[in-house]
Amino acid sequence: MRKLLRRIFLIDLIEGLAVTFRYQHPKYITTEQYPAERPKIAERYRGAPRLNNHPETGETLCIACNLCALACPENLIVVGSERNEQTRRKELTTFTYDTSRCMFCGLCEDACPVDALELTQDFELASYSREGAIWDRQMLEEGPRPARYKY
Amino acid sequence: MADSTFLDSTELVLNMGPQHPSTHGVLRVILKLDGEKVLGTECVIGYLHRGVEKIGENRTYQMFAPYVDRTDYVAAVSNGLGYCLAVEKLLNVEAPPRAQVVRVILTELNRIASHLVWLGTHCLDIGAITPLFYTFREREMIMNIYEKYCGARLTTHAFRIGGLQYELYDGFEQDCREFCDWFLPRVDEYEQLLTGNRILVARMTNVGVLNAADCKAYGVTGPMLRAAGVKWDLRKAQPYSGYEQYDFEIPTGVNGDTYDRYLVRMEEMRQSVRIIRQALDRIPDGPIMAKVPKVIKPPVGEVYVSIEAPKGELGYFIVSDGSTQPYRVRIRPPSFVNLQALDKMARGALVADVVAIIGTIDIVLGEVDR
Amino acid sequence: MATTSWESELTQSLSAQFGDKIVEFCSYLGQNFLIARPEAVIPILDWLKTEAGFDYLVDITAVDYPERPERFELIYILYSFSRNERIRIKTSVPDGYRPASATVVHPTANWLEREVFDMFGIEFEGHPDLRRILMPEEWQGHPLRKDYPILQQDQAWVRENLGIESAQ
Repeated sequence: MRKLLRRIFLIDLIEGLAVTFRYQHPKYITTEQYPAERPKIAERYRGAPRLNNHPETGETLCIACNLCALACPENLIVVGSERNEQTRRKELTTFTYDTSRCMFCGLCEDACPVDALELTQDFELASYSREGAIWDRQMLEEGPRPARYKY
Repeated sequence: MADSTFLDSTELVLNMGPQHPSTHGVLRVILKLDGEKVLGTECVIGYLHRGVEKIGENRTYQMFAPYVDRTDYVAAVSNGLGYCLAVEKLLNVEAPPRAQVVRVILTELNRIASHLVWLGTHCLDIGAITPLFYTFREREMIMNIYEKYCGARLTTHAFRIGGLQYELYDGFEQDCREFCDWFLPRVDEYEQLLTGNRILVARMTNVGVLNAADCKAYGVTGPMLRAAGVKWDLRKAQPYSGYEQYDFEIPTGVNGDTYDRYLVRMEEMRQSVRIIRQALDRIPDGPIMAKVPKVIKPPVGEVYVSIEAPKGELGYFIVSDGSTQPYRVRIRPPSFVNLQALDKMARGALVADVVAIIGTIDIVLGEVDR
Repeated sequence: MATTSWESELTQSLSAQFGDKIVEFCSYLGQNFLIARPEAVIPILDWLKTEAGFDYLVDITAVDYPERPERFELIYILYSFSRNERIRIKTSVPDGYRPASATVVHPTANWLEREVFDMFGIEFEGHPDLRRILMPEEWQGHPLRKDYPILQQDQAWVRENLGIESAQ
């Protein structure tokens, strides 16, 4: 008898609807209004690469050891260096990173011994051309500049 | 002879093409229909074939780990666990206890995430649109934990050969416990929305029945095998990564139809929360990485290691020839083998049931095609 | 491979049944396998399924060793629910040999053998529907062979079907 009443009066469907209507309360809104409010990114997020500089002297931290290029599964890092005769060390000249083929796996960041190459929290990496996605040293040090929208 | 007009029933060949909202990826199913009833199906796959096994022969062992995440992209952490366990077995090392417990926590979170995707998309195909939003909201919480731990939400590359790369962040335990406390009542909510619902019951019972003998003959594993009544789970039968220390149950079904698979997966989500809570209580201190050389060159040999991925038995068969690159990597995908049973299950069903059956096998085309 | 030998009552019943068709019983890192002659594989699979309870065929795969005279090594992985044990059957076949299909014993071998054919070119005798499964139907070449370079594509197929000249 109870089952018959449940069937006629659509009780099982109304129970489901009760769940849905309970979620109409504004405290359950989970939508983020994206360009206006930026999402919170974790510190370890593997986003856009960046070449770090020494905080005091402003020189690059990279010692051109080529370990990041060797660790990359896709072979998309090219490190150019030349030997400085006075200090007998290698100095970095060019550094090319191809973000169009990068899988953001983090192996280059793990391989760098001096924390020069770092994957930051930037995720807005779009560019208007394929060549624009290949970053040279200046782009890597500054970071991408996505368009900021004002309302 | 007989007057045959175009109204006579002849076979209609209908193409459920690679671009289709219900095929869970680029799966093409060619249906032979008699009106609305299915006489036979044929799956055409290979639209997402990227040659991952060939890539494996050209990368070193550590370099190949990010590629493995991209086969079953919905549950990437399990793939990484299987690969790392296989290479660790070749090297004859074992990850330290702390790494093993954290691996179990992340893998069970991954199982919940995979089943949430299954639940949302399967019910979306059947017509219940609302659970999709709720399940993805829960999945956001899991993705946030992964992001804070290893840096990526979906293709996590969380485990390394020999243990873990990253130490746990402050607040990991608290985040996981908050998730478990928030999540268990949600499962009850999904059940309230779906389990007793007469539309769902009518669309899922006696659809896609695969009994235990057929499951074993077709090599089907995972929740499909358990829904047919076989109480078998690789985490209990051949435990790996410390699973023998945890106390959990294996849910089974009776008939082997779609409704039983639905109930089995819902119960598996609850059991996963139970395992996570037990593991959180017993994270030991200690190192997170075993003594593994920088350049990994395993001795000549081959090994087959399989784990219980959310979709079935995921196996890795790695042949090493003593150099830094594997000689052959074979990924035994559960979705590929389970998809063979589609033909058996769909005969005699209606077209709308085919959509429900594809959803209940729980395939991910990245794994089917590799 | 530094194998150790494998002795159990299963190996004794197998060698009593098949004699010299089984070349060797080995074990590596705790995983047991046996090396058999190619024509004996299907009878061994059948015997293991009916007599020993190995009713679940986990995987069929192949490995290419181009410098050996018997180029391909076919590997069958089996599991038994009742014994909770996993074994492998390995056999070496030369190029052009057509091994018998395992679909008569285990229906799950259907797609697995299609994939081995697609990737390696090993044709199976008696398979109900042997065609390419992952690559397109008209593709020439078998990708997982060692003499197929990683950047090679079937240029004729690409030109015809995609209308471009592939840049690889």
